[in-house]
Amino acid sequence: MKTNIDVVSIEADVLIIGGGLAGCMAAIKATESGLKVAIAEKADTLASGCAGTGVDHMWAYIPEVHQAMGYTPEDMIDNNTKVVAGGFVNQDLLRLVVSESYERMLDLEKFGLKFRFEDSKAPGKFRVVNQFHSVPDTFNFEGRRIKVNLTKTAKRKGVKIYNRVSMTELLTSDDGHITGALGIGTRDGKLYSFRAKAVVMSTGRVNRLTRNLTGVWGNYRLPASETGDGRAMAFRAGVPIINMEFLSPSRFSIGNYELNLGSPRNTTQPAGAVVDGENNIIVPRTEFYNWDKLGQPPVDVAAAMAAHRQANATNSVNYSQLLKEGRGPFYLDLTSGTEDEIRYIEWSISHEGKGQLFLEHLHNHMHFDFRKDKLEWLPNTREMAGMASSGLVVDKNMETSLKGLFAAGDEVGGMPWSASPGAFTMGWRAGEMAAQEARRQKQFFDVSPTHTDALGRLMQRMTGNGHGHTWHEAEIAIQNIVDYYADHFRSEKMLQRGLHRLAELRDVIDLRADSPHETGRCLEIRSLLENAEMVLRGSLERKESRRMPFGFTRADYPDTNDAEYFAFLSQRREGSAVRFAKINLAH
Amino acid sequence: MFNPVVINEAICNGCNNCVEVCPMDLFEANPVKGGPPIVKYPDQCAFDGVCWERCPNRDEAAITIIPPLSMRVAILRGLP
Repeated sequence: MKTNIDVVSIEADVLIIGGGLAGCMAAIKATESGLKVAIAEKADTLASGCAGTGVDHMWAYIPEVHQAMGYTPEDMIDNNTKVVAGGFVNQDLLRLVVSESYERMLDLEKFGLKFRFEDSKAPGKFRVVNQFHSVPDTFNFEGRRIKVNLTKTAKRKGVKIYNRVSMTELLTSDDGHITGALGIGTRDGKLYSFRAKAVVMSTGRVNRLTRNLTGVWGNYRLPASETGDGRAMAFRAGVPIINMEFLSPSRFSIGNYELNLGSPRNTTQPAGAVVDGENNIIVPRTEFYNWDKLGQPPVDVAAAMAAHRQANATNSVNYSQLLKEGRGPFYLDLTSGTEDEIRYIEWSISHEGKGQLFLEHLHNHMHFDFRKDKLEWLPNTREMAGMASSGLVVDKNMETSLKGLFAAGDEVGGMPWSASPGAFTMGWRAGEMAAQEARRQKQFFDVSPTHTDALGRLMQRMTGNGHGHTWHEAEIAIQNIVDYYADHFRSEKMLQRGLHRLAELRDVIDLRADSPHETGRCLEIRSLLENAEMVLRGSLERKESRRMPFGFTRADYPDTNDAEYFAFLSQRREGSAVRFAKINLAH
Repeated sequence: MFNPVVINEAICNGCNNCVEVCPMDLFEANPVKGGPPIVKYPDQCAFDGVCWERCPNRDEAAITIIPPLSMRVAILRGLP
């Protein structure tokens, strides 16, 4: 049954789905081969993804700094493996990120981003600070408009960007090769049919699976636009997905005005401390690295890691426990900061996601001064589905099990907090390898109209559906189920019941969209459903509890079982069944 | 329920930067060229501030983001 929806047919040698940091880097790299490269982005690459309003930091092995410190790339890999990931990390991915993030930084500098500052005492004039690792290797930079920069760079190199196109389905050949993808124009209401010789999936994380704490829709620490679209599309196409069972429990932060900000020992360091109502210190402040003493003596990495672990243990605050003891309320306190430190912190906040708006609000509307006032430290919303550690399984070339389908950035499973260095390095590698694959294909694959017709019918059904459910109503129903059955303490019967409830919901949901915009929101609901099921299925499969790097608690399997479960558990669709496989990790 | 994005029609020059960049696609361009955009889906705001950040007249408050009451930062004032 044909529909009267306009179909826009596009051919691109390499199609990038998701134009965030990773997607833009993939596109830019893929153009080097002279191929036709396209990005399909559901918002606008000028401001989309986690770094939409800016990213203020990345980490890398900086030879001029770290050689002088006495820190090697192997040390950095060891550091990340032990202190950040608790061993739960894909070593190939980690090695890629550690060995190439400095090169990517140099590329970004060529694209016009500012990393060096006259007032820096570090070699290379980088603003190096302590953040994720035990030795300072994070550096702050002026990334507020990085997406503008990357968009311009991509366009200059000939990338064709299709904004306001929400991709929803991968197309594959009978012998298991990617052939293209389908999407919907969320402004023009047209159906977009891409033929491609290689595809890079880079749609970020999955958000909105859990109810937020302020009751204001969209108020999450991470972008509300990230709904696991890539994971859903890839899963439906039979690609294995890992780590969906992990959960980052509710932490404390600025809470209400939730903005990508990491604190207190991240963006608001060194001066940021957490205190209680009596000014007792709960989390102490840190100090800037003393560059005058660089390499005197060379860093004892083992000792630094031990000290870092000790600090983590001491500062790993159990706020619930403190509240039970009557120690609340809590505050972020920068009042001990010097003038230089506070200016530095405000500069860094202004370049991090939403930070500029936050500062404007603090200064101009609230007349807030970090030198005198404190921000209350409140619970923030927990994060489901393994955050950036969950996602598609890829090999060293960033390729998935589906030939010609690559993935990059937060879309990729296996590296906790890969963040911006992960996006830059994985994006670049995926772009390079996708281009290589595209060059290998002499011509485009045939794309049968079956899928296009089916999507057209779905669009038509949603648009004409006056009695249907709004996307918002469906979202609340999904969140209710995930929140209850995949709460902090999970168990066999609860998870099975939750999956049954989700299956019932699937049968009953009949989405309605009164505009192409709402069709886009409805597609997000379809993704959320798929991801919710993955969360519960993954949880059923992991019959143990595990604390690092994220939380996972089975009430019926309260102990950690490394012998059987020190592994990623991948789930893969095969017809109407789901198959699990273990990907063992090195001890 | 909320009205987080407020456009000052007297100052807005109708450049439509906000319409172009909004990650949640809240805006619609005014049918009258040069007119201020319409906030079509205020309840879908994700409070990222992109519209404000890219507004050329934001210093004159062409666009203001007002967080809903339940989302405002909570402050403990120090001594003056």
